[in-house]
Amino acid sequence: MKRLAPLVSLVMVALLSLCLPGNNSMAQEHGTTGHTTTAGDAHATDAHATDAHREAKPDKVQEAFHTAENSSFVDLILKQMGYVKPHEGEEDHNDPTLKTLAMFQMPIISAVVIFLIMGVLVAGASKREMIPGRHQNLVELIIGGFDDFIQGILGLQGRHFLPFLGTLFLYIWISNLIGLVPFFKSPTSSFNTTVGLAICVFLYVHWTGIRRNGIGGYIYHLAGEPKDAIGWGMVPLLFPLHVIGELAKPMSLSLRLFGNIFGEETLIAVFVGLGIGAMAFLPMMPVGIPFQVPFMFLGLLTCTIQALVFTLLSTIYFALMLPHHDHEPGHAEGHAAAHH
Amino acid sequence: MNLLGLGLPLGVGLAALGSGIGLGKAVGGAMEAMGRQPEAIPRIQTAMVIGAAFIEALTIYALLTVLLLQGKL
Repeated sequence: MKRLAPLVSLVMVALLSLCLPGNNSMAQEHGTTGHTTTAGDAHATDAHATDAHREAKPDKVQEAFHTAENSSFVDLILKQMGYVKPHEGEEDHNDPTLKTLAMFQMPIISAVVIFLIMGVLVAGASKREMIPGRHQNLVELIIGGFDDFIQGILGLQGRHFLPFLGTLFLYIWISNLIGLVPFFKSPTSSFNTTVGLAICVFLYVHWTGIRRNGIGGYIYHLAGEPKDAIGWGMVPLLFPLHVIGELAKPMSLSLRLFGNIFGEETLIAVFVGLGIGAMAFLPMMPVGIPFQVPFMFLGLLTCTIQALVFTLLSTIYFALMLPHHDHEPGHAEGHAAAHH
Repeated sequence: MNLLGLGLPLGVGLAALGSGIGLGKAVGGAMEAMGRQPEAIPRIQTAMVIGAAFIEALTIYALLTVLLLQGKL
């Protein structure tokens, strides 16, 4: 039963992100990202398709748009990543299978991420030996390290939250990283996924708060835990403030992750476009200078830090919600010192 | 041609300026504390990363408005 907990959490997350199909509407609604950069250089070969439906010469441009060999490589990349809204005329010519694939792009990549994590973890944990092999060692390293990390913040009861928080971290981390693989897009670069994750955290934190403190203790906690007459006098002022603060937490959590990953992917797309724009004097050649490579290394860093920050903040929300006598500073400190 | 094209980058620049000052102070303070007490590095680092995430989120919000309003430029 204990071993099933991460799987249950994963399925929960998967269901949440599957419930929201029109996933890349956010990116598509707001037009082209590479638009400004490609339009900057006047090479018609590359620029025409990207800002096609913005210029007021529809017939000629549409014609160019419909012939597959004429549409530029940048445009194909941007469309692949969901940054360019397909033209109205073009949609009729599209393969319905491709259209469905594009519509369910995010859930499909999400599923790939989930099965990747599941495969590695289940395969590593299924054949347990006293002297671990490579695979088992990897899994033990991940889980042991994370156990230490969580217990350093939450104390001994951190282990109770390890399955949820560890799953959260692995899912976000691998989702962020998969955006750097060609033909993939980070599920976390869609607002719907990050909101789903933040809602998971929000519900679990408050459920834990109600269960551990009791309903009365939970409301007392939200009122700011008044001790004296002045404290009780401030309750009408502080209670709404705390409620708004609690509601703001998932919002900032999801917006931070979405903004960082979406921004990073946009940056990479823009520099891919720049690199191709720089080589645009070659007629119809899908060749570019790989300007995006340094930003992909930066992306590796951002991916890890953002996954860590999301998990760390979730852990701290749990720590704030739990009854205080369970995580006295001395206790937590002792753990932090013991583990690091 | 509207003023959005001027305002959005300017807004991000201002937000980045503020975040830069904030991050500089936060990381500078953390570095000082780490130098003074090397044994407390893990805990200082954790707190610093959380603080840095809160600070840089402000710039990210400004950047988000640019990304979302880019279609209207």
